[in-house]
Amino acid sequence: MSAETSAARLQRLLAMVPWIAAHDGPTLDEVCQRFDLTREQLAADLEVVWLVGLPPYTPDALIDVVQEGERVWIHYADVFAQPQRLTPDQAVALLSAGASVLALGGAEPDGALARGVRKLAEVLGVDADQVLDVDLGGSDPQVLATLRQAVREHRRVHLDYWSYGRDTRTERDVDPYVIHAEGGALYLLAHCHRAGGERRFRVDRINRAELLEETFEPPAEHGPTVVFQADDDDPRVTLRLAPEARWVLDAYPVEAHRDLPDGGVEVTLAIGEEQWLARLLVNLGPAAEVVDAPEPLATAGQRAARRVLARYR
Amino acid sequence: MSVAKLERLLNLTALLLDTPRPLSAEQIREQLAAYAEDRAAFRRTFERDKDELRQMGIPLVVEPVPGTDPPVDGYRIPREEYALRDPGLEADELAALHLAASAVQVEGVSATAGLLKLGGLVGSQTGSFDVHVAPLPADANLPRLFAAVSARRPVRFRYRDADRTVDPYRLEFQRGRWYLSGYDHSRADERNFRLDRIEGDVEVTDLPPFEPPSTAVPGQARGAWELGAEPPVRARVRIEGPGARWAVQHLGPDAVVDEDDDGVVVELPVTNRAAFRSFVLSFLEHAEVLEPPELRADVVAWLEALA
Repeated sequence: MSAETSAARLQRLLAMVPWIAAHDGPTLDEVCQRFDLTREQLAADLEVVWLVGLPPYTPDALIDVVQEGERVWIHYADVFAQPQRLTPDQAVALLSAGASVLALGGAEPDGALARGVRKLAEVLGVDADQVLDVDLGGSDPQVLATLRQAVREHRRVHLDYWSYGRDTRTERDVDPYVIHAEGGALYLLAHCHRAGGERRFRVDRINRAELLEETFEPPAEHGPTVVFQADDDDPRVTLRLAPEARWVLDAYPVEAHRDLPDGGVEVTLAIGEEQWLARLLVNLGPAAEVVDAPEPLATAGQRAARRVLARYR
Repeated sequence: MSVAKLERLLNLTALLLDTPRPLSAEQIREQLAAYAEDRAAFRRTFERDKDELRQMGIPLVVEPVPGTDPPVDGYRIPREEYALRDPGLEADELAALHLAASAVQVEGVSATAGLLKLGGLVGSQTGSFDVHVAPLPADANLPRLFAAVSARRPVRFRYRDADRTVDPYRLEFQRGRWYLSGYDHSRADERNFRLDRIEGDVEVTDLPPFEPPSTAVPGQARGAWELGAEPPVRARVRIEGPGARWAVQHLGPDAVVDEDDDGVVVELPVTNRAAFRSFVLSFLEHAEVLEPPELRADVVAWLEALA
């Protein structure tokens, strides 16, 4: 109980008292489960409720707590007949969670979650679809449904995948371990039979996923669900960035950086794929200059720019 | 929190919820034995208690005590602003919300406190949802903007070095960030704003509530090229190769104006030319700006400087 803040305990009491009062003698265990309490905490909380009421605070003006065996009743708590409204941050948290899970698909359109979100939105006085939306990462609903089924059933899947870093389209079989959502995109962590190791795939770049008959034994442990991990033997490239390109620091896992007097920054990045660096350099244009890179990475941007230009001539 | 303080705050809440008319501090001190006899000590404790209740979002209002001249500050909690109307959630609906709130969290915000008000934690615990969702980033202005969206109150904030007055329509989490869409009075048009680029605190104004748009609020911009204040143009882009499927998925079928075995032609509304160029170039040689000529020339000039 010591970890609980005073405000949290007060808020819980303001929610628990109306709930018990509105129910005809719930069991102590049910109250504990609903309000996330141990039996000792509940006993301590009920002791406090005994002392609460209205002027003149005579016994008949105090809230009455009756405990009989395993059941508890609260009477004369009319002043606390309703719980407190949700605060805006609580409303945002609940509606965002509901919208996210609904957007991932698989829930019945008129299932319990959809109905719950609608009722919640109604007491908040909003139209849930109109005021708040969460997109965890665009993906083909069919692809996502197949992958989720494969993860649950430990089934192998065949993927048609656009490898962004190499800019190629490949076919491969994978054993899918986990799907995770981060930074506005969905990822699949899987053992890739083509690469012979654990790989991470952006779900929105999977053109097609086909459930196979083969099953696999999921490993006791798999790699962390982080988006990019550099290999020690990936080549390193150092770029000098103008002030307007400082966003690169936030957007990519920069290994080292040094601020420059003009407001710009020099960064060192591990480069897994040449096409990835080419895109970054073409995108940054005059705002980036390669300071140090092994061949052929040093000219990756320039060569890519020439290839693109050829389309326009 | 000591039991004495918890008891005092509960009794204060009950007293202020029950009273039909505002009570002066002096009346509160006389009623609640828990407060000290000493006036200075009472004042300090009472100030802290008020702060504590307000921080929990309890609507403690200050109004003049009727019949006092000069007016004396009085306090009460209007029940109609305090009480949650029972949403009538069934056990399975509450359990589904619980599961969703366990699976998807907003950083630093407790959905649990909200669930307790709705009837408590029902059903399964964490770990039973099959997609692992990293907590959505918090934004200091997010709760206030949600309150303004719900109450249809225009807001004021500073964005890109300009003060904006906006009717806030909708909040969206896209591409890992929170956005607000609404009607920007200063620009006399609908605009999208990135919450993390709002400078300082959003101010909820006293302006009269706005009428929500009669038609559905347009969806969030599909890309950064729609997040700009430049004169809008419609651009056509041909996209081929390995990323074409992804582009259709990302842009939505409505953006596709032509399609063949090798690729697609998409049409995009552009109000931010730099972001548009960046998007097209992300496909490298697999994409080409077809129209309008000015955007085509812009890409060519950009590439020539690099090549």
